Amino acid sequence: MIRQVAIVGVGWSPFRSITPSISYKEMMYEAAVQAYRDAGIDPRRDVDSFVTVAEDFCEGTSIFDEYVPDQLGALHRPMHTITGDGIHGLAASVMQILTGRFDVVVLEGHSKASNILTMPYITAFAMDPVFNRPLAANPVFIAGMEMQRYLAETGTPLDACGQVVVKNRGNALINPLVEFGAELTVDDVLLSEPVAEPLTRLQCADHADGAVVMVLAAEEVAKTLTDTPIWVRGIGWANDTFWMESRTWGQAGYAYLAGQMAYRTAGIKSPRSEIDFAEIDDVYAYKELQHLEALGLCRPGEAGMWTLEGGTDLDGEFPVNPSGGSLGGGHMLDCTGLARTLEVVLQLRGKAGQRQLEDVETGLAFCWRGVPTTGGAAVILSN
Amino acid sequence: MSLLYRIQHPRDALVVEGSMPITSLYTVGIAGERFFREIMEQARLFATRCPECDVTYLPPRLYCERCFSQLDEWVEAPATGRVHTYTTVHIDLDGNPLPEPRTIAFVRIDDTDGGIVHYLGKVDPSEVYIGMGVEAVFKKKSERKGSITDIAYFRPV
Repeated sequence: MIRQVAIVGVGWSPFRSITPSISYKEMMYEAAVQAYRDAGIDPRRDVDSFVTVAEDFCEGTSIFDEYVPDQLGALHRPMHTITGDGIHGLAASVMQILTGRFDVVVLEGHSKASNILTMPYITAFAMDPVFNRPLAANPVFIAGMEMQRYLAETGTPLDACGQVVVKNRGNALINPLVEFGAELTVDDVLLSEPVAEPLTRLQCADHADGAVVMVLAAEEVAKTLTDTPIWVRGIGWANDTFWMESRTWGQAGYAYLAGQMAYRTAGIKSPRSEIDFAEIDDVYAYKELQHLEALGLCRPGEAGMWTLEGGTDLDGEFPVNPSGGSLGGGHMLDCTGLARTLEVVLQLRGKAGQRQLEDVETGLAFCWRGVPTTGGAAVILSN
Repeated sequence: MSLLYRIQHPRDALVVEGSMPITSLYTVGIAGERFFREIMEQARLFATRCPECDVTYLPPRLYCERCFSQLDEWVEAPATGRVHTYTTVHIDLDGNPLPEPRTIAFVRIDDTDGGIVHYLGKVDPSEVYIGMGVEAVFKKKSERKGSITDIAYFRPV
């Protein structure tokens, strides 16, 4: 029988637009101390392995994985860093436990985006150097082109994209972890400065700093550590073609594939009825809609109307991004998926404060790695 | 225990500035070589075909991403296509407003399953639409150097 894996501890350094008072190492340390306290473990004694996620260019150093052991209590211990989102790291952590060789694994992701002075250049550097980079365009154009095609293919009204921002930044107002809460109208969003039409400034998540640490444990250990283990029921990840010249542009194939894999591993046949809520990548407003459809949580072309009708509101039939998502909490680089997962954990523990959803048993977190990527990962958690 | 004391004033928050100087050569490869030489010397587009999957790759590749077979069938593609999707970009790489917004499109090249991401020219951004027919405008031969920018832009036909 396959071992069950649970999240038994979580910690974070609050998500803020700038964090001049602490270094990324101290941020990770702060999140780690909180997570170890939460799980009731000593990292120097009780942890078998550590997994972190980071991208060298965002850290401003090469071979960044060498920089992480000390602030996590991981010195001299098995550890590795994945160049991927936090949910990819979560998959790696779960797999380590499934081998039977590790019982307790610590996972870390962080963002010190405010230290990066040339972010669009880093993103542009991710584009194909032969075919795409010579255009020397701000890579946000990729999101604009994708949004244009998605809207055209699905008939989604622009208002729905505006409403995603209104909803998520509204949810963020009652989330003390984040600071991009705001009361907005659809017009405020759609009439903000155009960035890459039809994308406007307020439809793009700003960056935030922060860190998240999670402690994962095998079932038998998890039950000794906590009365409220949050079980990892299913996990999936996938990439679509990276070639801009081969993409469909309208659809998020990676989200479909990652979702199907997660549902399959979780034994979920009807995601909409078997899952109670979701935290879904919304780094650009249209992405929340596109991802909802690709993940099979509504039919293609329905996410917009569903959102406009309030179905994904905090008090709707299927709340999406109760935390405020990236629009309400900031885009946290490769920590983004862990920010989404953290909210699912807090909700399933019943510890989400004023934004707590009623009677939730199963939640989904989904991340996308941002432009220009076509990669994503999904995880399904239950209490 | 966690962080006991924190910096109290922004003026006390020291930073050390640094940068990563990275310069690379990007080999365009066997398929890329042929693609760019045809553009540079003849102002023509070439693609590769996977007969198995009935997919025509432009830019050309030596392998099929669907069935993974090796591709050796080369076909000339027209320098015309249709706007598959587009956007008008208002900011430059520094995030500053562009003096003049620029329209970028993914042009699906006719008779292929691929295309080219490039700027549109000689068209008012408000008149661009999905499905619009466009053609590549090549730079003068003397100015072409084997780059995607040997195509100056695409314009409506």
